[in-house]
Amino acid sequence: MLFLQALVSGILSGGVYALAGIGMSLVFGVMNISNFAHGDLMMLGMYLAYFAFTLLHIDPYLALLLIIPVSFLFGFILEKVFIHRVIDHPHQNQILLTIGLGLIMSNTALLAFTSDPKILTTTYSSSAINTASGLSISVPLLLSFVITSVITAVLYLFLAKSSTGMALRATSQNREAAQLMGINVAKMSAIAFGIGTALAATAGALIAPTYYIHPLAGHSFLLKSFTICVLGGLGSVVGAGVGGIIIGVVESMAATYISTDWKDVVVFVLFLTVLLFRPQGLFGKKGGQ
Amino acid sequence: MKKLLLSLATAVLLALPLAGEAAPLKIGFINSITGKEAQIGENLTNGAALAIEDLRSKGVQVDFVREDDGGDPKNALAAYEKLVTRDGVIGVVGPYTSGCANVVASRADQYQVPLLVPAAAKEEITRNGYKNVFRLNAPADVYSRVLLSAVAPYKPKTIAYVYAATDFGVSTVKTAQVNAASMGLKEVANEKYQQGQPDYRATLSKVKAANPDLVFLVSYDADAILLMRQAKEIGLAPKAFLGAGAGYTTAQFAQQKEISNLVISATQWTDDVNWPGAANFAKRYQAKFAKEPSYHAACAYEAVRIMVDTAAKTRTAAKLRAGLKAGSWNGIMGPVKFADYSGFTNQNNHPMLVQQLQNGKTETVYPAQFSKKRLVYPFKR
Repeated sequence: MLFLQALVSGILSGGVYALAGIGMSLVFGVMNISNFAHGDLMMLGMYLAYFAFTLLHIDPYLALLLIIPVSFLFGFILEKVFIHRVIDHPHQNQILLTIGLGLIMSNTALLAFTSDPKILTTTYSSSAINTASGLSISVPLLLSFVITSVITAVLYLFLAKSSTGMALRATSQNREAAQLMGINVAKMSAIAFGIGTALAATAGALIAPTYYIHPLAGHSFLLKSFTICVLGGLGSVVGAGVGGIIIGVVESMAATYISTDWKDVVVFVLFLTVLLFRPQGLFGKKGGQ
Repeated sequence: MKKLLLSLATAVLLALPLAGEAAPLKIGFINSITGKEAQIGENLTNGAALAIEDLRSKGVQVDFVREDDGGDPKNALAAYEKLVTRDGVIGVVGPYTSGCANVVASRADQYQVPLLVPAAAKEEITRNGYKNVFRLNAPADVYSRVLLSAVAPYKPKTIAYVYAATDFGVSTVKTAQVNAASMGLKEVANEKYQQGQPDYRATLSKVKAANPDLVFLVSYDADAILLMRQAKEIGLAPKAFLGAGAGYTTAQFAQQKEISNLVISATQWTDDVNWPGAANFAKRYQAKFAKEPSYHAACAYEAVRIMVDTAAKTRTAAKLRAGLKAGSWNGIMGPVKFADYSGFTNQNNHPMLVQQLQNGKTETVYPAQFSKKRLVYPFKR
């Protein structure tokens, strides 16, 4: 029973990690940029959900219909104004730029919203479905897992079937060749960054009803997203999805069978072991970045 | 000659206003104004502000220099050093967290400027024989002792610990284990967690599987709400949840009635305790800041009042130390006296209280001489 409970909790909370990881991976795949502002974009999603709930009285999950387009636009503009300038530059320039943008976002949030953690309490914030066998499934986690699955499926279809999606994949596979084939790679980059931002904000909004909202809350998720991306294979959307679930389950199992204090250690030991045997990550292509 | 006289006269004139006016009384205050502990820190800021207001209205002129440590011990130390070397304060109140207070305490004797710790619980702070370190609040072992004595009449048999991997968490649980063992309680789970994680469900499921009578919790701020939410989710319902102060005593936690009802917590102060001025302090605090004061606010108020009052009479750091050591006070924190006992130095032997959240209201339930309501046991949702 304990095992099953740990597995279910792990998979459900892994869903949100996966969503955050996919956003980061997509940006890396298409633009070859490690986005260190990813956690802060997640934080913005949390605040959007919080204010939609407190000011407009919209349920945080319903508010996604608002948060997704707004954050996509924000990401799109961010790319057009800042990120595209460093696309062909060395990695350290890109890292400095994204860290800088992240710092500006988190410190602006500190000034505007103060460092008081905000608690978003919905009617279902602490409710659970209890099965006859004694298994308890968190309602907010289950809802967010379903939403994550739908979004991932839509994203997958978009990338596989639509012409823009194909152009994104082509840019991700070979930027120069894609450009020679007449694809507007600059636009693709902006779209990819917009989608990445929207996914980060969605992950933030999904976690908001069960977590607390704080200007620096994104930082712990940044490291997690990065670990997930590398574990799944940088640039691989499927890899990030699977990576997220794996991290969720491993954390949960480690907390159950070893110690809560040691769960991060177990995650990183697993992470290093995978990198040792598959340096390209679980789903990464050999010889890739 | 004329020139010399003129310059002498000017010098005398310039010196006169200085001689007539004593140097302003300077006291420092270190607190977590920003950072993870900022929410509780705000209570200390407000409590101190109210104390300064009261002192000024009584005609005590004081230059009160505030510093922020962001909850980080190295910032706290830098703040203390700045206060004593650059600002020239003769006494310092603070810092809030155990981690910060412990580091600053270790340097107080080097600078010979008295430090009055208002609310940090780590035992070592007053256990190292530092001459310049005073503490108003009760140390960590009292948290667990008072909590366990409150539930002792109901004869619980097993206990589980869930606590933050911080100085406060670790030291409180360490003393709780000693107290629990002497009561014959069997430890069935011991879970230390890193702060700020989104998911404690696995940890709490493990605790639930161990089926303890008592769950002893130590958390700051929002973690307390997160833990209790997820405890409700997975259906963890022991006979009692014992929260060791901090996150379990805040107004924000009390507002979350669905999850906080009947949670028991140790506290340094409540607004319905019969110490002189306690109820009035709560009323004035509420009126001024539109929030209920936590015990941290009362600790900060009393610490600042004692520090400034004593400093106004003594005027130098050395005399201030002697004044704090010799004095005794009776205010909103009850009787205060900095004494040396069972390994502690300059420690106020503060009687802690046990409170229980009953329908969103904080009620004092133990010890009997300070309380009006009875403890509700066992816990039920």
